[in-house]
Amino acid sequence: MSAMPMRRTWLRSEAFLLAVLVVEIAIFSRTGTQFFSGTNAMEILRLSVEIGLLAVVMTPVVLTGGIDLSVGSLLGLCAVCFGKLWRDGGMPWPAAAGLSLIVGLTAGGLNAALITRLRLPPLIVTLGSLSLFRGLAEALTRGVDNFTGFPPDFLAWGQGYLGGVVPAQAPLWLGVAVGMTLLVHNTVFGRALRAIGHSPEGARHAGIAVERCTAVVYLLSGLAAALAALVYVARVGQAKADAGTGYELLAITAVVLGGTSIFGGTGSVIGTLLGVAALAVLRNGLQLSDQPGELAGILTGALLLVVLTAEVVFKKFSARRRGSSTLPASNSPSNPASS
Amino acid sequence: MKRYGRELSVTASLGALLLLLAVVAPAFFGRQQLLTTLTAAAPVLVVACGMTLVVLTRQIDISVGSQFALCSVAAGLLARAGWPMPAVILAVLAGGALLGAFNGLLVAGLGLPSIVVTLATFVTWRETLRWWREGEFVKDLPDRFQWLGLGQSSGQLFILLAAAAVFALLVYGLRRSAVGRFVYAVGSDREAARLSGIRPEWVTWGTFVTLGALVGVAAVLNAIRFADVDPKTGTGLEMQVVAGVVVGGVAVSGGRGTLWGVLAGVLLLACIAPALVFLKFPPQWEKAIQGAIILVAVAADGSRRARR
Repeated sequence: MSAMPMRRTWLRSEAFLLAVLVVEIAIFSRTGTQFFSGTNAMEILRLSVEIGLLAVVMTPVVLTGGIDLSVGSLLGLCAVCFGKLWRDGGMPWPAAAGLSLIVGLTAGGLNAALITRLRLPPLIVTLGSLSLFRGLAEALTRGVDNFTGFPPDFLAWGQGYLGGVVPAQAPLWLGVAVGMTLLVHNTVFGRALRAIGHSPEGARHAGIAVERCTAVVYLLSGLAAALAALVYVARVGQAKADAGTGYELLAITAVVLGGTSIFGGTGSVIGTLLGVAALAVLRNGLQLSDQPGELAGILTGALLLVVLTAEVVFKKFSARRRGSSTLPASNSPSNPASS
Repeated sequence: MKRYGRELSVTASLGALLLLLAVVAPAFFGRQQLLTTLTAAAPVLVVACGMTLVVLTRQIDISVGSQFALCSVAAGLLARAGWPMPAVILAVLAGGALLGAFNGLLVAGLGLPSIVVTLATFVTWRETLRWWREGEFVKDLPDRFQWLGLGQSSGQLFILLAAAAVFALLVYGLRRSAVGRFVYAVGSDREAARLSGIRPEWVTWGTFVTLGALVGVAAVLNAIRFADVDPKTGTGLEMQVVAGVVVGGVAVSGGRGTLWGVLAGVLLLACIAPALVFLKFPPQWEKAIQGAIILVAVAADGSRRARR
C-alpha cells in the first residue's frame, strides 16, 4: 500500500499531459490545415529537437534539486564558436564541431566546479554564466557577425531527411532521449540523483558521492547545449550570437510540465518528453490554424500554472481523504546547511 | 566588520572602478554623463529594492521585466488618454501591485514554487502585451509626459530624488519596522517565524505586492525619460535586477542581505556599460563582464564560507 500512492503520483502527470496532447491533436486536426499528417508530425519532430535535447538533459539537473539557466546562452556561444572555428579558423567542419562540443563540456565544467566545489546555489551560478556565455558570444562576433554558407554535408544534418521522410537529426535525438531515460530510471546513478534531490545530506550519509554525481549532470547539460547548438546551426544554416535566446525557459517549462518537481527528488524523462511534445504541438498547431504566435506563449504559461495548481489541489484533496497522519513531509527545499 | 563583509567588498570594487575612471577618463564624471548614468540606473534600483524583499523571504520573481513592460505601456496609454500625471503614477502603481498580488497568491496561497510561477507569468504577460500592442510604440504623448513636463535637468533630478526616497523608505522600513523584521524572520526560518506568531504566507504575499508596486513606480521613472514608450522595454530586466541583488550580497537562501549592499551592486553593474565606452573597450563585452562579476562575487562568498 505504501508504494502505491507514489506509483500513482508518478503516473499522474504523465497521464494528464498525454490527455492534453490528445486534446491538442483533436482540436488542431479540425482547425489546422494540413495538421494531421505524417509530414507535419515529422516537421514538429524536426523543430523540437534542440529544445528536446536541452530539456531531456535538464531533467537530471532538476532531479538533483538544481537548475541550469545557462543552456540557452551556451547554445549561442557554441554556435558562434563553431562558426568562428570553421570560417575564420579554416577547420573542416567535423573538427570544428568536435571542438565546440569541448567548449560546451568546459562551460558545463565551470558551472559544475562553482556549484559543487564552492557549494554555491545553482540558480545564481547559472544566472551568472547565462550572462557570461551570452556575453562571450556577443564579444566573439562583436555583436554583428553572422556565420553562413556552411558546407552542404554539414547542413544535411539539420535539413536533410533519411529516406526522404525522417529528419536527419531525429536518430541523434532518439539516441539521447533513450540514453537519458535509461540513465535516469535504470541505473544506480539515476537513483543517486533522486536521493540527492530529496536530501543531499541524507544521500551523503548513504554513501553517495554527492559532489561527483552533481558535477556529472552539469557536465552533461553543457554537452547537450553544444550538441543542440550544432543541430540548431545545421537546421537554420546560420550562427549568430543571439542563437537560443530564451531556450532555457522553454526547456525548464517542458521539464516542469512533465511533472518533475522543481525542488528535486521526483520526476521522469518520459514526462519531459511529453512536455516537449505538448509545447511543440501547441506551437505548430496554432500556427497552422492561423492563430497569432503570441497565443502559444500565453497558453504555455497558462498550461504551466494549471498543471501546477491541479497538482497541489489534487495532493491536498487526496491527503485529506487519506487522513493527515499519512501526509508525507512536504518536499520544500531543505535549508542548505551553511556550516 | 565581518558581518558586512560583502557590502564592503562590493563598495570597494565600485570605488576601485570609479577611481580607475577618474584617472583614465575624467569625462565620465562630467555632470551630464553622470546624470545620464544615474537616471538610467534609478529604475533598476527601485525594482532591485523590491526584489530584495522577495529574495529575503527566500523566493524569486523573474516576471518583473514583463510587469515592467505592461506598466510602461499602461502609463503611456493613460497619459495619452488625458489623465493627469499623478493619477497615471498612482494607477500604474496599483496595476503593478495587482500583477505582484497574482504571483503572490499562487506562491504564498497555493504554495507553488516561485521560480516556476513567475516563469509562467513572465511568458504570459510578455506575450499578452505583444498580442495586444503588436509591438507598436505608444507615440504622440502629451508634453507633460516626458520629464513630467519639467525639462530634462529637473526631470532627471526628479527621477533621482524619487528613487532615493523609495530607497530611504525601504531601508528604514526593513531595519526599523516590525514588518521589516518579519521579512528577515520568514526568510531565515519560516517555521520558527510561524511559531512566534508571524504569518509567513501574508509576509511572502506582501513582498510580492510591494515588488509589483515598485515595478510600477520604476516603469514610470523609466518611461518619462523618453518621448514615446517602447513595448519591448524591460527585456532582460529580471536578470539585471537579480544580478544586482546577488552581487549586493543578498543570499538566495533567504534571510541575509541589506539594501545598502544592493545599492552598491546595482551601481557597480550600471557603471560597466558607460565605463567600457570611456575606457575605449569594445562595448560588446558588457554582458560577459557582468556575468564574470556575478560569478566572482558569489565565488568569493563561497570560498570564504569554505575556509571558515
